Amino acid sequence: MTDQYSNQNVDSSLQPSIAFLDKQPLALEYAGVNLRLNLLIMLMLITLACALFYQSLIPLPKGLQSLLPNIILGLFAFTCVFCVYGYFSDKAKSYALRQLDLHYSSGLFFYKTVSQPITRIQHIELKRGPIERHFNLASLQIFSAGGATYSFEIPGLPVERAMHLRQFILQHRELLKHG
Amino acid sequence: MAEDNTISPDPLVGTDPNSPWQALSPVAIVYFTASIFKQLLGNIVYLIPALIFSYKSVLQHPFIWLPAILVIISLMALTACLKFKMYRYRLSQDTIEIRSGIFNKTHLHLPFSRVQNVKLEQPLYYRLTGHACLQLDTAGSAKQEAKIVALPLDFATQLKQSILSQKSATPQASNNDNPDEGEVLLNSRSLSDLVVHGICSNRIWILVGGLAPFYDNIMQSVSIEIEKMGLDLSERFNLDSHSTLEVLFTVLVLGLLIVLVILALSVVGAIVSFYGFTLSKIDDRYIRRSGLLTKYEVSMGISRLQMLIQKQDWLDRLLKRVDLKLQQNSASHTQDAATGANNKIVVPSITQQQSQDLIDELYPQNTLKQVIQHQGFTGISKVFIWRQIILIWLPIYTVTSIAAWSSQQSQWLFVTTAVFLFICGLVVLRWKRWGIATDQHFVYLRKGLIGVDYVCFNLFKVQQTQFMQSILLQKRQLASVRFVLASGAIKVPMLKQSLAYRLLDYSLYKVGVTEKSWM
Repeated sequence: MTDQYSNQNVDSSLQPSIAFLDKQPLALEYAGVNLRLNLLIMLMLITLACALFYQSLIPLPKGLQSLLPNIILGLFAFTCVFCVYGYFSDKAKSYALRQLDLHYSSGLFFYKTVSQPITRIQHIELKRGPIERHFNLASLQIFSAGGATYSFEIPGLPVERAMHLRQFILQHRELLKHG
Repeated sequence: MAEDNTISPDPLVGTDPNSPWQALSPVAIVYFTASIFKQLLGNIVYLIPALIFSYKSVLQHPFIWLPAILVIISLMALTACLKFKMYRYRLSQDTIEIRSGIFNKTHLHLPFSRVQNVKLEQPLYYRLTGHACLQLDTAGSAKQEAKIVALPLDFATQLKQSILSQKSATPQASNNDNPDEGEVLLNSRSLSDLVVHGICSNRIWILVGGLAPFYDNIMQSVSIEIEKMGLDLSERFNLDSHSTLEVLFTVLVLGLLIVLVILALSVVGAIVSFYGFTLSKIDDRYIRRSGLLTKYEVSMGISRLQMLIQKQDWLDRLLKRVDLKLQQNSASHTQDAATGANNKIVVPSITQQQSQDLIDELYPQNTLKQVIQHQGFTGISKVFIWRQIILIWLPIYTVTSIAAWSSQQSQWLFVTTAVFLFICGLVVLRWKRWGIATDQHFVYLRKGLIGVDYVCFNLFKVQQTQFMQSILLQKRQLASVRFVLASGAIKVPMLKQSLAYRLLDYSLYKVGVTEKSWM
């Protein structure tokens, strides 16, 4: 160890704790966009099932024909639960940036906070799909040396914010390395 | 072809950037053949079931399979020769270049400064001619490894040393005068230790599991063989003509025989991979050498050590032995995890004291011993037991019991109940083993089932932390934490929430204030 310091007498309540992070919400649009996207996909599936049920061009197996109404009902129920849960869990996602680390919290029933020291970041990527581009959103992917399993992504950031975060992390890392 | 005899004694002196491309020694053909053969075997495994079922009809047509095998063998020989012909390497002051490949040509250019690890590998056939493979690992992906396939052994060791000394000369030149003197032997394993390791290690169960799809075929052929030998098993196990005691005795003897065979195989496996094991130290590098057929040499800088694991299975516990694992980066090297060539350094079947000495050597500031002596571990919550039993094992038990009861086979109820109670006991044991402790520099974990494992890692090596809590756990003020290191992640379940926060905060703090690199 290069520095001999003691940490014993410091009151632990004075140390910065991840229990009291200054949590920043994701972009306001994010949850809504995601909700619409999920709804769209599910509705497409339901339409497909309905179309199958009412069409008479392709003969369906008897079992499937009689099962289809149930399948459609099931899809409806799943859509409701899935979209509501998805919406609120998207709302619950947040991130926090401190001087030395980046945190990402998520989960409605299973809460989780991932803390990533900036010096341990291998590289970061800004990802923007067509939908994200349309709504001016971006995702920030963070890779550490812990391997692919432990890389994580902060979704639904406003573009400027994401760029700013990326810039901050890159500059900060350089500073820590050479400063 | 053998133009490598002109190599100067000091590998890196007199090699200018435009030095000629060098060919390998012809022994390399053997190596290429062997590796092609290995690859082929790896692919053929999937054909085994088909072969087993059709070998009789195949055997009836020698005019098909004989030429086929001949063609395959000649193709293999041809590719090996071509590979050898195409392989060229070039050394200069601080880089190595390798050109290889028949159809897919690759040109590898590797500066020595990027080399993280140098491994020497000496297969059996190279020992006759005094050659070795030199493998250079980089921090990047597994594809970026360079392997010089056949070098004269002393040249390879010299080259290794010059690469290592170059590497360590750049960051801290002062404490490194002469890398090839002052090698200290830390540990060596005798044959009897390896026998103990073979008995204790569970690697054989992997084999048993891997053979599972072929059990039916094996049993069939075995019973046919037994019948040929004049034994009638069904008669032997017939309860009408033999007393229960006799049958039981036969079963016991047969079971023991199988266990003995498996144990013998396991011991052989341990001896093959760990024969002549030594762990030694030069400056800040640790070197493992072992292997009966193929000799491996793996070296690791102390700064690359991520985590120490002292493992003890139930058999180890009986024999009072432990395995000590030195783990480094695992992200890239996973392909040859089963052989002795992997990057992990395992010190097999040492005594508790030897293990403690090694831990003290590797982590001079550690207080593991004191923590163990003074019961310094904080356990996890009892909720762990209830959750495991109620959420996982109780449903399984209920379903199987109902199934047994409804199918009029109530004697199975005793079996399911016994198994359930046994598992409950194991869950309690598991809960009891879990423990965590920290001091200024390290985190110590205790876990296990019947045996006890200790994990120890330096706090500043943490790559990422995770805090996990379900709603139910939140009500009880409990949380799980996960430490992600470059060698893998470790999750500790059901700690007190305050402790979980304190642990994570402290490790983030340590990562922040420590300027040392984790590599």
